[in-house]
Amino acid sequence: MNKRKTFKVWLLLFPVVFLLYLFIWRPSVMGMVWSLFKMKGYTPTEFIGLENYIRVVSNTEFLPILWNTVQYVLWSILIGFPLPIIVAFAINELVHAKNFFRNTIYLPAIMPGITVMLLWYFIYSPTSTGLLNQILAIFGAEPYGWLNDSNWVILYIIIQKTWAGFPASMFFYYTSIQNIPGDLYEAATIDGAGFFRRLWNVAIPRMLPIIVLNLVRQIIAVFQVMQEPMVLTGGGPNNASMSLGYQVYLYGFVQGRVGQALSLGTITFLILIVATLFYFKIEKKTTENL
Amino acid sequence: MNKFSDKPAGLFMSSDLKSRKGRMGYWMLFAFVTIVMIFTFVPVIWMVFTAFKTSAEMYSSAAFFPKDLSVGNIINRISEAWVKLDLGRSIIQTLVLTAGHVFFGIVFPGIAGYILSKHKVAGVKLVFVLIVWTMMMPSIIRTVPQYMSYMSFPFIVDDKIRSITNFNVLNTYWPIWFNDAINCFNIILFKNNFDAISDSMQEAAEIDGCNMLQIFFKIMLPIVAPVAFYVGIGLMSVAWADYFNPYLILKDAELYPVPTRLFLLKNDPKITPNNHLMGLMFACVPPYLIYVIFQKKIMGGMMAGAVKG
Repeated sequence: MNKRKTFKVWLLLFPVVFLLYLFIWRPSVMGMVWSLFKMKGYTPTEFIGLENYIRVVSNTEFLPILWNTVQYVLWSILIGFPLPIIVAFAINELVHAKNFFRNTIYLPAIMPGITVMLLWYFIYSPTSTGLLNQILAIFGAEPYGWLNDSNWVILYIIIQKTWAGFPASMFFYYTSIQNIPGDLYEAATIDGAGFFRRLWNVAIPRMLPIIVLNLVRQIIAVFQVMQEPMVLTGGGPNNASMSLGYQVYLYGFVQGRVGQALSLGTITFLILIVATLFYFKIEKKTTENL
Repeated sequence: MNKFSDKPAGLFMSSDLKSRKGRMGYWMLFAFVTIVMIFTFVPVIWMVFTAFKTSAEMYSSAAFFPKDLSVGNIINRISEAWVKLDLGRSIIQTLVLTAGHVFFGIVFPGIAGYILSKHKVAGVKLVFVLIVWTMMMPSIIRTVPQYMSYMSFPFIVDDKIRSITNFNVLNTYWPIWFNDAINCFNIILFKNNFDAISDSMQEAAEIDGCNMLQIFFKIMLPIVAPVAFYVGIGLMSVAWADYFNPYLILKDAELYPVPTRLFLLKNDPKITPNNHLMGLMFACVPPYLIYVIFQKKIMGGMMAGAVKG
């Protein structure tokens, strides 16, 4: 009876486990293994050790692209990370039109990702048809290149990403702010705490686990950014917005350098694994404290 | 004034708002939220207004508002863009894709979550641990090897069998649907919600002679319907948002769904920005309708997911 049950359970679980093995577990491991092989098309042929890695790392574009990716992360920590927290706290404090603001600010979260990216592609248009250049025209300024400006293009992409992403995170923070009991604020007020003390000593400590969790999650996600540079700039101008993720895509599917795609993917993976392990450590702590 | 005195406890207490300084702080916060709202709204409104401008008007005038917002002009613009964009075929493809997303993305993670929660026979725990780990593994390492798996599906021996059978799932929707079936977030979400159901329910159904699949479809899935609903809505929006996977997997342009078509139109010199923006608007309509119709259920599901997800 028991054996029969075990068999039935595994029979039911088999499709999912098989697909997980084929599409996630095996590719994750083999990605690392095959990165040590010479690739003919998408077929590994012979073991060549670290040759793929040497090619990737000795490419003069490697370090600039790594630095670009770090810049993506830094800008997103600077802009995309604090904004939803501040907005969530602010909306929670409102007594006028609170639901109106909460619902309207949620709007970008409903738009499909690709439409948001393309919408901002047009907003940033270097011609006079773009929204930002229309605004500049009001002040009599010449059209500006926006995404063609290699100094700031990463910032502009992060602004787009923030616009698309902050409403959902905002909602996430908002629900957890609402779970902070009002008694805590009242007790703090009786003890003489003002606005900033209540924020710093009552609200932030309660929110800290979720905030840190989200921060690490965001770093991991932005470090793998690929679609935004692909849609908005194609990595340009002059590779100024090229990210590791998009470079992996180009190596693997456009330039036919599959071996290098595998090894660059592995390099990125190894960098991120540190952040991932850190994430697991905090997550465990957080779930224990909940 | 009444609103201030009734304010629930928070960063601002109602006592703070009696003073002039406190009220100024409050209105500064209010102004900040208003600015954020403008920041979220202006791009959307600009998209709508520019889509309703004729091409001549768009290129000649930098005005924010279109000159002619009469019903006739709006209908003209919609029909002109519709003809130019030629999205009919890809809308049908997107609907097919959506149906598969919802089916595979609810049934398989649901069954997996059910087994992980209620049938912990030998080895199931290990699968659960692996799934939890998979969830946060950086996916970048899989970009290319996953594609190689599509090429050799369902075999895991790559080159030899591939060259003999010449069968693979590229240029079909199957890889996209399979990836829904193994969405680890949703598997865990289902598992957590099944965990909340008492085991006695399961035992009673077993005594009544139901088999596992019957229990899942007739008893368990209906109980977690709000979560299934939430997952399903998420899957529907993915179908309207994901341009990348179809672009990677499909070779036939005929099979491209709307997002991929919109992405490729960027390189089409015949498509002017106003028509392209109209296309973006078309693509926003289905997710927006889903949101409006199911708003209550979405928020309910978010809460259910937030409990432990």
